[in-house]
Amino acid sequence: MTLIKQLAVVLVSFTLFAVSTVSAKPFSPKKPIELIIPAGQGGGADEIARLVQGVIEKNDYASKPVIPINKKGGSGGEAMTYVKKKNGDVHTLMITLNNVLTTPTNQPELGIDFFNDFTPLARLITDTFLVWIATEGKNTAGINTFDEFIAKAKGGSLVMGGTGKMSEDELLLGMMRGQFGFDAKYVPYSGGGAVAKGLVGGESDFTLNNPSEQMGFYQSGDSKALVMMTPERNPAFPEVPSSYELGYPDLEYYMMRAFMAPAGIDAEVRDYYTGLLHTVYWDSEFQSFNIDDGKLMSWLEGYGLKDFLAVEYDKHSVIIENFK
Amino acid sequence: METFGLLLDGIFTSLQWFNLGLLIFGCLVGLFVGAMPGLGSVNGVAILIPITFIVPPTAAIIFLAAVYYGAMYGGAISSVMLGIPGASTAVATVFDGRPLAQKGDAITALSAAAVGSFVGGTVSVILFTLFAPPLAEVALAFNAPETFALMVMAFATFVGLGGDDIPKTVFSILIGLLLSTIGLDLISGKPRLILFGMPGFLHGINFLVLAIGIYGIGEMLWTLESTKGKVQMAKMEVNMNEIGKAFKKLKSTLMAMSIGSFLGFFVGILPAAGATPASLMSYGITKQLSKNSKEFGTGVPAGVVAPECANNSASTGSMLPMLTLGIPGSPTTAILLGGMILWGLTPGPLLFTQEPEFVWGLIGSLYIANFFTLVLNIALIPAFLMVLRIPFAILAPVIFVLCVTGGYAPTQSLHDVWLMLIFGFVGYVLRKLDYPVAPAVLSIVLGPLAENALRQTLILSDGSMGIFFDFGEKPIAASIMYIALVFLLMPLAGPIKRKFFKAKSA
Repeated sequence: MTLIKQLAVVLVSFTLFAVSTVSAKPFSPKKPIELIIPAGQGGGADEIARLVQGVIEKNDYASKPVIPINKKGGSGGEAMTYVKKKNGDVHTLMITLNNVLTTPTNQPELGIDFFNDFTPLARLITDTFLVWIATEGKNTAGINTFDEFIAKAKGGSLVMGGTGKMSEDELLLGMMRGQFGFDAKYVPYSGGGAVAKGLVGGESDFTLNNPSEQMGFYQSGDSKALVMMTPERNPAFPEVPSSYELGYPDLEYYMMRAFMAPAGIDAEVRDYYTGLLHTVYWDSEFQSFNIDDGKLMSWLEGYGLKDFLAVEYDKHSVIIENFK
Repeated sequence: METFGLLLDGIFTSLQWFNLGLLIFGCLVGLFVGAMPGLGSVNGVAILIPITFIVPPTAAIIFLAAVYYGAMYGGAISSVMLGIPGASTAVATVFDGRPLAQKGDAITALSAAAVGSFVGGTVSVILFTLFAPPLAEVALAFNAPETFALMVMAFATFVGLGGDDIPKTVFSILIGLLLSTIGLDLISGKPRLILFGMPGFLHGINFLVLAIGIYGIGEMLWTLESTKGKVQMAKMEVNMNEIGKAFKKLKSTLMAMSIGSFLGFFVGILPAAGATPASLMSYGITKQLSKNSKEFGTGVPAGVVAPECANNSASTGSMLPMLTLGIPGSPTTAILLGGMILWGLTPGPLLFTQEPEFVWGLIGSLYIANFFTLVLNIALIPAFLMVLRIPFAILAPVIFVLCVTGGYAPTQSLHDVWLMLIFGFVGYVLRKLDYPVAPAVLSIVLGPLAENALRQTLILSDGSMGIFFDFGEKPIAASIMYIALVFLLMPLAGPIKRKFFKAKSA
């Protein structure tokens, strides 16, 4: 009895000691943090990743530097496989675009389990989508409203420029096909910038670009937006109606810019990175850059983020299923 | 005249002490990242982007453009001195630069690279100054069919690259094309040819992995075998006299300079191409049009001038679509573009009118950067030449380390290092068997560009190839296509003519 008591005392004091040392020294990175980008250089995800890196570096928000690494292969498959293998690694982060929601379904051979291979940290931004046409498009001349566009699209097959098969914008085209009953010839390009140029250069008739990708041509008047796929208008595009006010509430789609860590990290590590991202999120430079660019600031963490990802994942699985 | 005033303003902007300091520092950094295998301008600029948040946008772009620019010069140094392409843009520089150095004429090779770069850079920045807005229109009119036609022209010039043995050249091209299909298929969005299910193949085969393997490792094995580890060049005089002599030899490279400058600039302004394809195409076309095309590959100054001229010219050219259309003309400008957006600028048709100080500061800085890199390069020739005084038995392990880090750097995956070693060994064997390897390297660069453009066009034309030859519908594409056919038939003409004459005399 006494022996057990003694043992218990020793055990309790050990535990207390361990707890006290942990709480005395919170987690901080010991080496540079790898920030994996599942897309090429110069794209939307790359832009945000480098902005986050810049904001962290400029203000010394982290004790170690952040190193962005592009792993663009296989629609995010390469990056996800890499992060999956980094299970338990406390110096790896990944920025997401929606391809993390579609690639596990599209490429089952990669063996990625979206819900168990990663630790979601936070969503910072959602990017919106608009329907764009060229101001002087040869097939879209005289079109000023989204309804006129639908009528035209139903009549003949228009060409749509996009960022690649099964990418967000082709899924979106699939959604619109179901909702409005028109189809288009889909031509894939190698990035959002090339898509925008193809539109203004007259090769395609419309695109479903993010705001930042068309911003230059929008400001110069070479391209115009017909609808923004959100409940409300966006201050960066005051004259573009939202899909809700046009009476198409089903036409709502976003690109999420969230961050994840590998699975198997401690809650403490997760909280550290979530806190770091929160600091970045409220940085005035980060806020003003994204708002000017027409992005929606939409912080989400914890259970809210988990639920959001589960809903989005299912939504994308349905879209992919309908697409086939 | 208004342009001239703006340009002068720009030049003065870049001559302010702070900007000038950054510019010279950028050139030096660029020389270094260019010369280090695997650390090309893309990595250099990407690594330095965060630093630029602390300076004004004009200073930031001047600094990064100087890095980009310096890297174009720097790539040539390791290509010539070590036979390892320092950057993807300098692969074609190895073809003749390395043999020249081995013949004992490294001074000519380095001078040719420096002067070629200077001429290409200057011609292109003048073209940029004078014709930026109309050229943006050209870039806009250049879509998938035109890009494919241009790629066909590039491939046509390769057939002449491998010498007279056309079957071996075609074999080499096909190997390159096959390797280029590994990875993600843009059109279907599916991974393809993922050999043995290894995830390392998902990002495809990086062109530098192949180039560093074949030229770095392969060359090292080859030199070890042929020199038995001895010093390559025991004695070498370096003085102004020698450099002057080298400059005289460059008189014969006028044609290479004009092809490199104009072709490089033109290819540079096309979205998605960039300095690497420009330098390879310039080499191929110069060789085809040269009177002594047989000597290319054995060490002729024109073979160094053509690619070096083109890569600098193209790097300036690729800034044009970046500034005027907001689309990158090369991987490096893709990063610069990201930087501009982060600095709060909106690239696009309005940038020239809304941010004249930024745009003209950049253009002005290119003139200055050109001048400084030329001076730096000529001044540093003696330092570079010291490398050749090192016994190869010591140099070889250094080359090996540079190759391994160079293979690792672009993608940070060990998979690529193993791949590079395998390519190195295969390259060495192919060389022993007298197979030309250059066409394989070229086709792994242009293969994906050509494939995407072809398939995009065929989607647009509902599968009809006629679109490429239709002058009414696509005048630019059709003209390029017919020129390409001429290039394709030219090397065939040689052997046929010879056969014909032989038959006559017999």
